[in-house]
Amino acid sequence: MSSAGIDKVRDWILGRHPERTELAADVDLIESRLVDSLAFVELVYTIEDAAGVEIDFDNIDIEDFQTLATIEKAFFA
Amino acid sequence: MNQPLIGVDLVPLSRVDELLDPGIGPLLRKYLSPEELTVSRTPDGAPDQSRIAGRLAAKEAVFKLLGAVGRPVPWQGIEVLRGPGGRPGIRLSGRAAELARAAGLGPIDVSISHDAGFAIAVATSSSARSAPSLPAPSHPATSPDHSTSQQSATPKGMP
Repeated sequence: MSSAGIDKVRDWILGRHPERTELAADVDLIESRLVDSLAFVELVYTIEDAAGVEIDFDNIDIEDFQTLATIEKAFFA
Repeated sequence: MNQPLIGVDLVPLSRVDELLDPGIGPLLRKYLSPEELTVSRTPDGAPDQSRIAGRLAAKEAVFKLLGAVGRPVPWQGIEVLRGPGGRPGIRLSGRAAELARAAGLGPIDVSISHDAGFAIAVATSSSARSAPSLPAPSHPATSPDHSTSQQSATPKGMP
């Protein structure tokens, strides 16, 4: 069962892509271009808001942001 | 011999609209430095969508010169300011400057244009490092015969 925090992140991504109704936890957000370089900053902002943490943009590990599963493990576990 | 490099990027003005949304308005400060925000305003002080979109496109175009595919764009470390004669001038700092040094990058030039709801930017430079060779074609008999392979320096950054 997913946390409310990762649900917020999923909803934010789906809100940007109305052609999609669902998003599996293992979909690569970057390779699939669901999140591009401009939107990546917004994704970080959304995660910060949902997790109540501050993320150091200069020291980001991109693998933490690859899929909903990796985001959940890194920020909502 | 120096390796020529080129990067290009396109930003729809509608993306700037989203960033100016009051709900996420402060987000623009994550992309633009205080100095860039100052020079991205209309004469009456409102955010200038075209200038903002042009700067964002230029930052991504410059990022594509840095050879950092798959890493986040260091938005604050690539500043697009007013250079001599009104041309865009680039100032690198932090991680962007480190990447440029590691790539052996020479001076960077940028050109920006906007029309019909889009901003486009092209960045050029050269590197003392030679580009990695492309893999050999799998069907050499049907491939054009080039004595040297050339590779675009413009793979999308992150993503």
